[in-house]
Amino acid sequence: MSVVSSSVARDLRAGASASAPRAPSPVPVAGFQWRRLWGAGVVLALAIALPFFTSDYRLFQATMAMIMALAVLGLNMLVGYNGQLSLGHGAIYALGAYTAAVLIEHAGFPWWATLPVAAAVCFVFGFLFGWPALRLKGHYLALATFALALATPQLLKHKAIEPWTGGVQGIVLMKPEAPDGWPLSPDQWLYGLTLLVTVFMFVLAWNILRGRLGRATIAIREQPIAASAMGINVPYVKAMTFGISALYTGVAGALGAVAAAFVAPDSFGMFVSVFFLVGAVVGGLGTIAGAIVGGIFIQFVPNIADQISKSAPSAIYALFLILSMYVMPMGFVGLVRSLRRRRQARTASGS
Amino acid sequence: MYNLLQQIASGIAMGGIYACVGLALVMIYQSTHHINFAQGEMAMFSTFIAFLCLKAGLPYWAAFLVTLAGGFLLGMLIERVVLRPLKDAPEMSVIVVFIGLFVGINSLAGWIFGHQLETFPSPFPEKGPFGTKLISGHELGTIVVALVVVSLLYAFLRFTRVGLAMRAAAENAVSSRLSGVPVSRMLALGWGLSAMIGSIAGLMVAPVVFLDPNMMAGVLIYAFAAALLGGIDNPWGAVAGGLIVGVVENLAGAYVVGTELKLSVALVVIVGVLLVRPSGLFGRKLVARV
Amino acid sequence: MTQPLLKVKNLEGFYGSTRVLQGIEFAVGEGGITTILGANGAGKTTTLRAISALIRTRGEIWFEGRRIDGLSTEKIAALGIAHVPDGRGTLVNLTVEENLRVGAHLRRDRARAEQDFERMYAYFPRLRERRAQQAGTLSGGEQQMLAISRALMLRPRLLLLDEPSFGLAPLIIREIFEIMRRINREEKVSILLVEQNVARALELADHAYLLETGRTVMSGTSQELRDDEQIRRSYLGF
Repeated sequence: MSVVSSSVARDLRAGASASAPRAPSPVPVAGFQWRRLWGAGVVLALAIALPFFTSDYRLFQATMAMIMALAVLGLNMLVGYNGQLSLGHGAIYALGAYTAAVLIEHAGFPWWATLPVAAAVCFVFGFLFGWPALRLKGHYLALATFALALATPQLLKHKAIEPWTGGVQGIVLMKPEAPDGWPLSPDQWLYGLTLLVTVFMFVLAWNILRGRLGRATIAIREQPIAASAMGINVPYVKAMTFGISALYTGVAGALGAVAAAFVAPDSFGMFVSVFFLVGAVVGGLGTIAGAIVGGIFIQFVPNIADQISKSAPSAIYALFLILSMYVMPMGFVGLVRSLRRRRQARTASGS
Repeated sequence: MYNLLQQIASGIAMGGIYACVGLALVMIYQSTHHINFAQGEMAMFSTFIAFLCLKAGLPYWAAFLVTLAGGFLLGMLIERVVLRPLKDAPEMSVIVVFIGLFVGINSLAGWIFGHQLETFPSPFPEKGPFGTKLISGHELGTIVVALVVVSLLYAFLRFTRVGLAMRAAAENAVSSRLSGVPVSRMLALGWGLSAMIGSIAGLMVAPVVFLDPNMMAGVLIYAFAAALLGGIDNPWGAVAGGLIVGVVENLAGAYVVGTELKLSVALVVIVGVLLVRPSGLFGRKLVARV
Repeated sequence: MTQPLLKVKNLEGFYGSTRVLQGIEFAVGEGGITTILGANGAGKTTTLRAISALIRTRGEIWFEGRRIDGLSTEKIAALGIAHVPDGRGTLVNLTVEENLRVGAHLRRDRARAEQDFERMYAYFPRLRERRAQQAGTLSGGEQQMLAISRALMLRPRLLLLDEPSFGLAPLIIREIFEIMRRINREEKVSILLVEQNVARALELADHAYLLETGRTVMSGTSQELRDDEQIRRSYLGF
């Protein structure tokens, strides 16, 4: 399999049509920049310090926010970097979650061992689903994935697999405890480990997206015909991207199951997929940092909306959504970047 | 055998409803090249307006007209206030706004109108033609309405000056403006008409599934499937698609997998068809010279 | 001297906050053909976009003695300026005939508009053959003919043509330029032509302007520019 070189990918970008839906980043994935390392470092330091001055409940919310960010990153790889719309990542999240739950409950796996299995299972599913599905264009793909998301609760409740899945009741798990002697509450323990996994996965993603696959994926988004003419095996790269995207969301699902200590079919309805998409867009498509912002958004904004209005929290949430699209159509990261560009332009022109 | 006929007939009946909503989706696509995820909720909201009219004592046909006018205005309002500011935004952002509209309108309806199920009258006679038990008066009426709407829509888009201008505006806004087509007015009109068709659909759905804010939830995905199956740029396709989806869904539920999985099966069938014919059964094959 | 049909003074054009046209000046005489020349990025297409109000502008644009800067694109078309955009702007999913019909959108005179279809097919017989075909399946040359016809359905006084030779074979280019000469004479349509193909442009036009990075650097009759040493060296290659 030959893959386009980075310089060619840049040329392909230069020739991209102005009307294609654009992600905010002007270069495929930013190379090593001190400024970014600084920013990531600050965020990481804050994250590490967090358990020392917040309550367990807040820590749990922060854990969920990281898990959401991981799931959103998975979706972002497909939507932002490869330009394919999926409304079905909730189904993949459910697959990861149930894989973990079933392994813990019926096969006695320790919870951390379920992560690689969930990753593998979801990767295979993503790859196999992606291969034919990604032949569908735009809204047809949206429909196919949307159908997947809608069908998920029904499929999970089906009698044939009830002995494993626990049917409508689902499966209840035990929250993992810190090993003996460690003075950490379960929430703190979980937070710490989730943080480790999340950081590892994000760094891995950054590497992948900077590498050959990442550039090929972006080339396909910008100019699929040219990419194919350059020798990129488009179906393979697309399926691979779907697979990796599913892997990420699947691992998030497994973590989510462990954190919530519970899986049930009705928690994996269509709205999960919708939330992930919202997170990806609000954070900033085609950016890694955007996934973090997106995760925080979908974890915390519904709560804020609830506090503002008891009777119509969804309406407030909807208002938040619509307003953020006005203020930052390229997502939060897109907004930050355009502000920075404008400031640079102003200082450069010495106005 | 009779059972099979009954299943098919009932599938066609539901199909008429899917066709109606699907037509609204096709209309909005034809005029804006967007898929309106909030279509169902807009239809539901209009139907509540009709309900209020009926409760106030208006005869059905008056409520019908008020609803149509209200739907039209609602559509134009949404275009102008919500979507106009986003005309240069990336496509994904617009999709998120549609999702926001979906959630927002649903929530607003629940807040204003409450969540209890209401019965809603049908303008059609109860009994089917010649007293047949296969299909009720309302079900047949729905199909007739769908056929009338699609014929009017088709004629409008294909044969009138404004219809052509609308299609052109959706196709290429700049070229259309250079030919003097008032593109933003066309967009507003497209939204208005599509919302109007949606309210007609709502009026057909409510008597069957009862009126409440979540009325359209079950219908919307099938309407999408219908519109895409038939070819998103073809109104007749939406009708055919709707009928096919209705029948397949019913038969799958009755004979193949039972009601729990019939949604999945119907959708698998649809996706399967789309893999073989990506522009839908009757859609125009979009060929572009590179 | 009679008033020029189109006059542009101190025209600035902006893409967002970037100023691409730095204050240009030129005129198109009644019944004449004027061409704007320049290298890639000189601002030629931007000039036409500025006249049609597709971008933000500052400065004066006069058409038939009235100022049109500040009017909407649709209004400018209604006043009699037809713009054939770069890339043709074909409405790809509509048929050839529907494309022409869109061009006739503003026409109030039904009967004459119907006759105009025939006139377009007379100029471009290939379009008649393909009238029911989807416009996106036409070749580049045919799409260019379609774009010009669509613009002419407006019965304009001024035709703005943006790089009609782009991507076309020499024989087709010649055919199209011939027809444009005929149209200028027979329809009494003045033409403002933006072209990279300097030789052909100077053959067709009577007046020419040279743009460089958003400024008019030279102007004169086509003969004058053809004889100019610098033009010959830089743009005509001899």
